[in-house]
Formats: sequence, structure tokens, C-alpha cells
Amino acid sequence: MTGTALAIEAACLTLGRFSLRNVNLALDAGEIMVLLGPNGSGKSVCLEMIAGFHRPATGRIVIHGREVTDLRPEQRRVALVFQNFGLFPHLTVVGNVALGLRARCRAGHPQAGREIAGLLSQFGIRHLSDRYPQDLSPGEKQRVALARALAARPDLFLFDEPFSALDARTRDALRDELKAFLRAAGAPAIFVSHDQTDAVLLADQVAVIDRGEIQQVGTVAGVCRKPANAFVAEFTGMENILAGRLLEKCGDLWRVQVGDRVLYAPGDEIAAGSVSLCVRAEEVGLCVTDDNGSLGLHGTTNRLAGKVKDGRSLGAISRVTVDCGFTLVAYLTNRNVRELGLAPGLDVVAEIEVSSIHPLRRDAADSVALQAESRNAGVALMSHRWR
Amino acid sequence: MTKVPARPTGVVLVFWFTGSLLLAFIVVPLIGLAISQSTGHLARVAAMPDVRLAILLSLLAALLTAGCAALLGVPLAYVLARTEFRGKEIVTAIVDLPLAVPHTVAGIALLIVFGRQGMIGGPAGALFGLRFWGTLAGVVVGMLFVAAPYTVNAAQIGFEAVDPRLEKVARTLGMGPWHVLLRVTLPLAWRSIVIGLTLTYARAISEFAAVAILAYYPMTAPVKIYELFLQFGLDESSAMALLLLVVSLALFILFRHIGHRRIVLVGAGR
Repeated sequence: MTGTALAIEAACLTLGRFSLRNVNLALDAGEIMVLLGPNGSGKSVCLEMIAGFHRPATGRIVIHGREVTDLRPEQRRVALVFQNFGLFPHLTVVGNVALGLRARCRAGHPQAGREIAGLLSQFGIRHLSDRYPQDLSPGEKQRVALARALAARPDLFLFDEPFSALDARTRDALRDELKAFLRAAGAPAIFVSHDQTDAVLLADQVAVIDRGEIQQVGTVAGVCRKPANAFVAEFTGMENILAGRLLEKCGDLWRVQVGDRVLYAPGDEIAAGSVSLCVRAEEVGLCVTDDNGSLGLHGTTNRLAGKVKDGRSLGAISRVTVDCGFTLVAYLTNRNVRELGLAPGLDVVAEIEVSSIHPLRRDAADSVALQAESRNAGVALMSHRWR
Repeated sequence: MTKVPARPTGVVLVFWFTGSLLLAFIVVPLIGLAISQSTGHLARVAAMPDVRLAILLSLLAALLTAGCAALLGVPLAYVLARTEFRGKEIVTAIVDLPLAVPHTVAGIALLIVFGRQGMIGGPAGALFGLRFWGTLAGVVVGMLFVAAPYTVNAAQIGFEAVDPRLEKVARTLGMGPWHVLLRVTLPLAWRSIVIGLTLTYARAISEFAAVAILAYYPMTAPVKIYELFLQFGLDESSAMALLLLVVSLALFILFRHIGHRRIVLVGAGR
């Protein structure tokens, strides 16, 4: 398949007190888009609008070159996979797959039998033909759901948090399998999730949605490093959102006052006096040195003196907070932490590449502080302190 | 998941004791009725043509009642389970109303509406020649009024238990709403619907007051038992009571059994 798999143009939809506002999305053939948002953001409603369960009040939806805005779900040729994969519990594996085929050819037709057998073999589930869904493992369920969906020859796959009820290991395995399937089939897909990991591991494109509005569309790296607004920054786990004041332009860079320090940040388009500087915690480096002469801008690196406040292990990595006159969060490998001998009260130098700083206009960032605090509380719950 | 048997607490033991009293209260009179009868006496009563006729009429009328409840009540249950609308609480209350209305009151109300000059009885007689007073149709009307709520309530619970997302998946697989209803929703709600119909059927057989007022004749089994009791006392009436008990219990168990089987309304493509 080539060309545009899905185009949503200026779609608006109101459901009771909730509304989707001016949704624009485009998906190329064979692309996977993860629609990322918190609970109640409208991501599932958006998916169901694409599937045809809600009709947008304005705007249009085009799937594979065919306008479907006014078509019913059964006419849209989309496949929908829900949490736990939505297999029909009263039908066997064969019955489930056969139901997907029904749309195209009559049951009992010899070709139907051949096609079902082919699909079952393709997904390696032929030996499960007569089992009922409650007797299948999550992996087997996913394969049955995909075989059933494929039987209907959809133009677009839609997934609504299919993994949310699974444990982490199973989720990882099934995610890999799903991606391999979609890549091999060249099938375009939209995957709704509130879990960034899904976005990182699946997505060609990420669309972040909140309160019924698409906040940003882009690659995972683009959205994570250059969030369009405070919500996206917060939702994608931006640990450092530093309130600052623009001082003056200095060559290509701005001098920005943060607390009592000055940072050099890029940004041609900033005009306002107040900004928030977004720095991902994994982009902050720490070193232990007595050489205070090289503080400030050093090449393309901001160097700030600070004291370690606290640190806790998050499992594979450690989250270290440093007091530089403002609080800076850094992610380090556990080995780094050991080698640097980091401990509360230790003097360190924090290093931030100019290019890792993403400035946001301040008015967009005001609402962040509270949300970031509550998220940190969540992090604290699932981690243990290392000192 | 298997339940690990927990050590019974004092609460459970005390409640088992009080619960056993209730169970005994239900079972003992029925056993008493059963052992009070000599087989010869039972056979003699069973051989009486009007007794047989009354029991058959009860079974037939209850079957028709369950059929009407299925045709009219199951769709209502679907609407109540799947849609939200203003006044839904009122509709739900109306469904349960027959459970709260004394059945003699129901009988009189039905007689007023379905009687020869009634709001429905009059036109139905004039247009279709359908009479309710003293006819099988009247018996069914009396039974339906008191027994329909069981079907609606059970079917509603059944429909509510069907994950709407399964219906959505079915739609995206290319099935229209009627197809989804037949192939997905009804098979999944089937067990609850059958349980509801079974309860309706059982309740319909046992109805006395509403039926006796609207259609004393033709005599259903409960009405006949009452008449035997008035005319011949406990001996004759208790023999017939046991007969009715055996027949209705057997059917009740049979229908419960059907409800517990996995049933697919339309072949699943194999």
C-alpha cells in the first residue's frame, strides 16, 4: 500500500460534556501512530470516531483514499482490537476467525474454509482451532485477534490499549510481535495508549492528545525533546522544566536567568520575557571536579556548580537531584553513581548541552508545577532511596 | 480460579444456622405434602379429566406467557441495558410495578381494561373477535402481568454483562447491528434470558389471584386446586397440589438445565 492511509481533517465532535476539537491527523501507508494521552483525554473517543461509532459534527475522515465520514463502522474496513483483544467468548478460535471472514464471503463456502485454514497457519494457531478464548494465553489471544481482523481485510488497524491488563514481560513480548506483524503486513495502524513505552517502541509518529485536542504530532524523539507545550513536556516525563527570564541575545543564544544562575539556551522564536527551559533528565551530565574556573558556557556546554540533594534508584537507572540554586534532576546509570561516589551534600558540576535545552513560552508552562509534583510523588512510591 | 476453603468463622456458623432454618421452612412443607399422599389416591386424582385439563392448561398458558415475555420483554431489556435516556428510572420502576401490586388488585385492574367493555377488551373483541374474559387469552394476560418483570430484569442483567466492546469489534468486522445482535449479543446473554424466562414460566404457573379474577374459567391448576379445596377439603386438593408441584418442578429443572448449556443461536461458521 502506498499513499495516505488515513487523513482526519478538522474533525470536531461533542459527546455530552466532552468534545474533540479540530482534530487533524495524517498517517502514511505502513506507518504506526501512537495516540498518547492521559485517561479522559479523548484518545479512545478519537479512535472510535475513526472506526465510525461517533460521527464528527464537522470535518472529514478519509481512509485509504475513500471518504468514510458518513459510513457506518461495518462499511469502513477498519480492524479494532481492544484490551484483552476482544475475542468472542462464545465462539472457538475458528468461530472467531470465521466471523471476521463473514463480511467478505459466506460461511460454508469452500474458499472460506481454505482461507481460515491459511490464516490459522499463518499465525501458528491451527492447533488451537477448537479452543475457546478463555483457554488461551494472552499471546495466543493476540494472534487470534489479528487473524480475525486480517480475515476482514482492513485498510487500517486500530488498537485501544490492548496490553493494558498484562504484566510487563508479556506486554513487551506481545508488543514486539505486534510490531513485527504490522511491519511485515505493511499495515497502517493507530495505537491508543497512555504508556510512553508503547510510543517509544512502536511509533513512527506520536500524537499527544489532551482534553480533546491534539497537542503535538511528531517523532518520538521530537516530541520528547522538543515538546510543543507544557502539557506535552509534563506528560512525556520532562523532569526539568525550569522557570527563567530572558536577559539578552548573545550571538545565536539567549542568556536566560534561572534562579540566581545564568544558562545559555537556543531559541530564535522566543519573544516573551518569561520562558520555561525544558531539559530531559537523561541529558544532564554530572561530574565531580574542583575546577570552578570553567563554569558558565564552555564551548556548547552549560556548566553549573551544585550540591547533590538526593538520589534514588529507579531500577536500571538512578534519579539524582542537584541543587544549583534551583533543583535539577539527572538520570545516571547506577554504575555512574558508584564511580562518581555521589552522596547527598557532595559538590558536583552539572553539564547541559545547549542543544538539549528546549525553551517554552512561559504562559504555556504555568500549569506544570503542580502536575510535576504529583508525578514525582508517584516515582517516589515505586522506587527506593539509594542513600 | 479455585476457592481455598477458609476456616469457618463464628459469623459464618451462626448464619449457616439461621439460613438452615429458612431452607427447612421452604423444603419441609413440600416434603410434607409429598409424603402425605398415598399412591392410590394420587392415581385416582390424576385420572380425573378436569384435573388433567387444568394442569395442561396451566402449562400451555405459562408457555404462551413466557413466549409473550420473550417477544415483548427481551427487547425492552436490551433498550434498558444499552441506552441512557431521560425517564429511564421511571421505565425501570414500571417494569417492577407488578411485583409490588397485590395480585387481586392486578386482577381487578386487568378485568376493567380487558373486560368486555374495557379499554382494550372492547376494541379487541370488536376488531379481532379476541375475548379475554373467561378465555385462554385472559389467563395469559393475568399471568403475563405478574410474571413479565422476571424476564425483563434477568435479560437486562444479561445484556449489561455483554461487553459493548465485543459488539463494536463485531461491527468493524463487517456486521450490521441486527447481525451483531444475533451472532454476538444474544448468544452471550442467552443464559440470563433463559433464566428469566424460566422464572416467568414458573411464576405464571403459580399465579392464582390475577388469573382467578380475570379468567376463573377455563380453570388453571391453582384455581382448580382452590375449587377442590373448597368442595372436598384437604385430601382431594393436596393430591392435585402434589401433581402440580411435581410437573412444574420437573419443567423448572429442565429449563434451568437448558439455560446452563452453551448455546449458539446461529451456526458459528463451521
